[in-house]
Parts: sequence; structure tokens; C-alpha cells
Amino acid sequence: MNENLLVVSTSPHLLGRITLRSMHLEIMLALTPAFLVGLYYFGFPALSTVVLAVAGALGSDYLVSYLTKKPAHPEDLHTALIGFLMGLILAPGAPWWLCLLGGALAVVLGKLLFGGLGSYPLNPVLVAWAAMALSWPAGMNRFLEPLALGTAGDWTQAQIPLMQLKSDISTLSGVYEMKNLWLGVVPAAVGAGSSVALMAGGLYLIIRRLIPWQIPLGALLGAAGMALLASYTDPRIGELGLEGLAARLDVIWFHLATGGLMIAAFFLAPEPVTSPVTPWGTFLFGLGVGIMTIIVRTWGSWVDGAFYGVLLMNLATPLLDRIRPRVLGKVVTGA
Amino acid sequence: MKFSSWFKGIRLPRPPMAAPPVEMPAPEKVFLPLRQHRGAVAEPRVEPGQAVKMGQVVGASEEFESATVHATVSGKVEAIKQVSDPAGQLVPTVVIASDGADAWAAELAELEAPFNSAAAVTQTRPSRLLKRLRESGLVRAAVQGRPLHVELSPPMAPQSYLYMTGIPVMRPLDTLIIKAVDNDPPVSPNLACLSLAGMQLEMGVAALARISGARRVILALPAGADSSGLLALARANQWEAVAVSQTHYPYTLDNLLVLRLTGREVPSPYGEPRDVGVVVEPLITALDVGQVLASGRPVLERLFSVSGQVNKPQTFRVRLGTPIGQVLQAAGGPSKAGKIIVGGPMMGLAQYDPHAPVTRETEGVFVQAPASVQHFTDQPCIHCGRCVSVCPVNLVPSDLGKLCEFQHFEAAAEKDLLSCIECGCCAYVCPSRRPMVHYLRHGKSEVLARRMES
Repeated sequence: MNENLLVVSTSPHLLGRITLRSMHLEIMLALTPAFLVGLYYFGFPALSTVVLAVAGALGSDYLVSYLTKKPAHPEDLHTALIGFLMGLILAPGAPWWLCLLGGALAVVLGKLLFGGLGSYPLNPVLVAWAAMALSWPAGMNRFLEPLALGTAGDWTQAQIPLMQLKSDISTLSGVYEMKNLWLGVVPAAVGAGSSVALMAGGLYLIIRRLIPWQIPLGALLGAAGMALLASYTDPRIGELGLEGLAARLDVIWFHLATGGLMIAAFFLAPEPVTSPVTPWGTFLFGLGVGIMTIIVRTWGSWVDGAFYGVLLMNLATPLLDRIRPRVLGKVVTGA
Repeated sequence: MKFSSWFKGIRLPRPPMAAPPVEMPAPEKVFLPLRQHRGAVAEPRVEPGQAVKMGQVVGASEEFESATVHATVSGKVEAIKQVSDPAGQLVPTVVIASDGADAWAAELAELEAPFNSAAAVTQTRPSRLLKRLRESGLVRAAVQGRPLHVELSPPMAPQSYLYMTGIPVMRPLDTLIIKAVDNDPPVSPNLACLSLAGMQLEMGVAALARISGARRVILALPAGADSSGLLALARANQWEAVAVSQTHYPYTLDNLLVLRLTGREVPSPYGEPRDVGVVVEPLITALDVGQVLASGRPVLERLFSVSGQVNKPQTFRVRLGTPIGQVLQAAGGPSKAGKIIVGGPMMGLAQYDPHAPVTRETEGVFVQAPASVQHFTDQPCIHCGRCVSVCPVNLVPSDLGKLCEFQHFEAAAEKDLLSCIECGCCAYVCPSRRPMVHYLRHGKSEVLARRMES
């Protein structure tokens, strides 16, 4: 080959530094604070949950690639990210086989069955999560009482605050301090407990422009607004004497902080493949996620509204993508 | 500037400060394509073997959209043959071997300056000025630039695409934007000429304003560069001066600059700034106009900027028709070139051969070493929407890219494919590194070809 040949290609001749690998790595980095908080309060069970989920994801990816004789792409880190996210939304006390299965289902059922990265219509993590929540509710709900690292004691099973709220409204006033709800000192999934850590990671992603800011904003606004409206339909709140806006604000804060809304708003809903792309589309998508979250929590028989909300809005993505911004300088015809 | 557009486009590294242009000695052989602009090819007016002098007409045409071509060295016409120009098109080209004398043609050798001040220019009839520009064969210094006399003359009839609202629109030109920022830094001939503000520039701008009829002159100055000379000139002549960021790409492209400086939206997809009453000329073109009016001779040079991975990035005053490879040598040469890109890194055209000549359309060349050549991939679109958030004309490039990749060209055209300005921001931010501009350009050419047929 002639050494002096020039390269010819289409413009642009400069590309940004971002690649799929770097993008997925940064999302994992953004999830790390929440994971560390999980490790701090749930110790070894949390670690094993995440490790098993990642192992399940990577292993099944290799297995499928071996069976179908198609190359796997572990180097873009997407499979690892799926496994990581799966581990973070599982209960820390979930049995080991459920964690492995979670990672595997997410990759096989959620991602590869639809054609791999870029083709799946529903968030693969949540597809697997929903399948398991319907099939093995006992294992999925094995939440633990938080036990800070270094404290002596045994793991005891506990109910998540939302579940308690459903059965007993007085949870609102007293059982948990608002501060603990936001910091994640409550029974919760491995990485979904600490809303503060999740928000920090999410803000990092927004600043790096890896997720659109409209989705988290919409989700939080939608959830807050719907929680306020829903609080008026709940007779138990009146019985408790929780009148006045201040008390209702407490309801809103409670809903925002618990039940994985933050991980859904900042990490699961803005999952690139399954969320819309246009500015208004993304905002409405987020709003829908927030509203569905509270609807499911208040009137549904499940409390994991955030996850079902994301799954439901994923189905609306092709529709929302039709809301396009006005093209600059476009002459409006027939107006 | 609209708030939302602040977040659109991309931020490029600040271009290095450009030194004033340096004269490059005349080459031994020049290649003068008979079309150096959008429009018709000129007919040769010389025979092979004929002796020519500098400034002598070697190609001209009766067509309106065609610019006269002059000999840029004195010597002997060696051949008239097809040579590929920087755009990769074969164009009939006059090859002149220089005799080294650099002698001007007899009628140009001793001339009195036709104009000696901007005031004299403003008192001349526009048609006379236009005739001079046409004789001198000036072309707007931009890719697909049109001959300057075409650019400045009023159109024969309203453009058909403006009929869409039912009202024929023909807006008189009222604003002249002199663009001292560059389309595609670091190829920045305009930046290098900031210090050349003087009488000639004043005359050039006065002539452009006089011919176009523009009452308002806006200077778009690069923010952060020393443009004190231009500012003084602007104050003296009551031109407006606005600082424009050089690093916020692509907001220095004509249509977006018009939007920014005047708030007028150039109609899309076929519109031009003139449809909203604005004419945009690069600083180097204004300088050329001034030189033509001050000297009475055609401009035989082009300001040509060499940047990127060469030993001495520099802007040169190059004779038209010099092979680009020789200009690179003058800049110290790349130790090893991977890509030689005419235009800039974002919108330029990669050359397969460094022998294409410098033409009136070219602004400069950007060189990449083999190690820094970027590679696209065939990974699927992951629908992340980063391209949507940067697209300066509010398209949904991810969708268009997919449609064009799988050849649904008409479906893409319905989603405003033709409004794409090919700035390359979508490809720059794509995490999958898809060749977005390639897909969209392919789609556009297919759509236009099909519309031509039907």
C-alpha cells in the first residue's frame, strides 16, 4: 500500500470525544454514589446483589452470542450498565438466583430479543424487573432494615415506607424522619434509597448533557403535582388532621423521596433508546412518568409506581417523538 | 441571540491567533479552472502555446452567472485540459507555465487609480461599480460562492419558493453584513486580515453597500480578537459592530449569522440571506473589492489559510491556481499527512490528491496527521437525542439519519431533510459515531435527483 495515500471521508473531520463506552461509563460513575450509600447501609447483601446481577447480564450476553454465533459487544459497557442498574433496583435481601436471573432476563428478554442496543422498545432493566415482580413477589420484596457499616446486628426484614403508607397512613407523621427518607436510611432497594445521592449523579449527567434535563424535571413536577392532587382524594389524611398546605407538602416530599422515583427519573426514564428525543416530547414523557407513578401508588395494588410509570411511558415514546420542534426558517404553507 | 440557541451547536476550541497574511512567491505553473464558483463554465480565450501576461483574460463567458478568469502569472499557456478542482469536479483548466517575469498586461501595466477614497466610490453610479466588479471576475470567497456581480445584482423575479404564502415577495436589500468571523475555524483567513483595516477596506465596504443599496452595515467581529482597527473604521463610517463568538460553532454560518444580527429567519430550505433583505460578505471579499477599485486591476491572489498539523500554520497571499501541495510546502509541510481538507475541519472536503489548485472559492486548508484522523462506525443509533439538542436548525437528525440509511428518502424529505445545513454538529456529538452528515447528504442528493426526474 502506498504510504502517502490520503484519507478521504465525509465531513465533519473532527468528532467529539464521546463514545458509547464513555457514555455508559459515565452513567455508571453517576450511579456510584447511590451504590456506595447502598453498600454503607446494606453491606454484604447489597454487594452480592449487584455483583450477581452484573454477572448474570454479562454471562447471558456471552451465552446468547455463543448460541446465535453473533458477536457480543461487552466493550461498549451497555450490558454491564444494564446489570448494574438491575442490581441497584433489587431488594438487598433478594435470593441469589433472583439476582442472577434479573441480569440475564434484562439482557436476553429486554435487550437481545429485540435486536440489541438501539432497537428495544421498553427499558430492558424494567422489563426484567416487572417479569420478576409478577412471578416472584416474595423474593422481590425481601427488603432489609438498614444497618450502617460497622454496626453489629443481624439483618432483619422490613417493609418499604410506601408499603407501610399504603396500610397505615400515620407512617407520614413520625415513623421515618424526612431527613432519613432523603438520605436513604430506610428499607429500600440497593441503590434506590438515597435520593440525594441519585440526584447528585443525575445532575452530573445533565451537566454533561448525557440525559435531557426535561425528563427528570417533568417526572419530578408530575409526581409532585399528582401527589398533591391525590392527597385530596385520600380521606385518611383528613382523619389524621393533616390539613393545610404544609402537611400536604410533606406528602409530596414523601412521595418524591421514596419508592425509587429518583432512580427512575434520573436513570431509568432517560434511558436513551426508550425515551423520546425532541424537547417537548421529553418533557411530556417525564411528566407522564411522574403522573403514572402517583396514580399507581395511590390507586394501584402495587406501590412501585415509578417503574411501571416508566414502562408505560416507554410505549408512548414513538407517539411523543412526533412532536417536533419548528424547523428554523421553514415557510409555513397554506397558512 | 435567542436563549435557546445558546445551548445549541457545539463549542470548539478557540482558534489560535492568526498572524497577518504572508506573501507567497509565484509558482512555476498555475492551474486556472474556468469555473471557480457556482454557475457556468467560462470559455477559454487563449490557445495552447500562446504567451500571456498577468491580468490578461484567459476565460470569459456571455453567461450572467460566470466570472472572468485572468492569468495570474506571465508566461506561456501550456495546455487547456480537464483538471479536478478542490470540490473533486473535473473542470476545463488553463495551465500556464510562468516565465518568472511577473509582467502585467500592457493595458494594466500603468494605470491611474480609478478611485482614491470611499467618498469617491459612494458618488459613483452602482452600475459602473458593478461593471468593474464583473470585469475583475470577483467571486464571493466561500464554498459554492457566486460571482460577486451575481450576488449583488437584484434578482430578475421573486424566487418561486417565496410564493408559498401566495404573495410574491421581493425584498430590497437593506442590510450588509461584513463577516470578519470564519465559518469553520481554525481555517481563518478573515481573522488573519483583521489588521488590514484601512482605506481599501473602507472603499470595498462602501462599494458593496452602494451596489446592494444597503443602508445599514453591520460588522461581525470575532469576540476576543484584537479588532481595534476595524472598530475605529466602524466608528468613522457609522457601521454597527457586533462581537460574535468564534468558538460557538456553527453560529458563524451565513444564515445563522443573519438570524443573530438582524433577527430575520432565512427561509428554508432554498432561501438565501437576500430573501430577507440581507447580503453577507466575508471580510476578505470586501478587501478584494477595495483592491480592485483602488488599483483598477483584477485581484490575482487569494488569502489562503493553512492550519492544523503543519509545521507553521499561516495565512498566505497565494496566486490563484497554485497547487495546494505547494502552499503546504510553504507552510513547512506536514511531516506526514493523513487528511488534507479544503475548507475547515467541520465542513471541509477531504482531498484525494494535493494537486488541486487554489481557486477563488477556497478559504484555506486544514491538515490532519494520520494518527488524528477520526473514524466513523456502523453502530446503530441509540436514540439518545444529543443530535436533536445541538441541531441549530431544529431538525431531528437521528430520525433522518435512520431513514436515509435505509433509503426512505421521501419520508425523510417530509421531515424537512432538505433544511439540513450539513454543519456536522450531529456527527460531532454522536456517541455511536455514526456518519450523520454522510447519510443526510446522500438522502438530499437522492431526493433532489428524484425531483429533477419528475
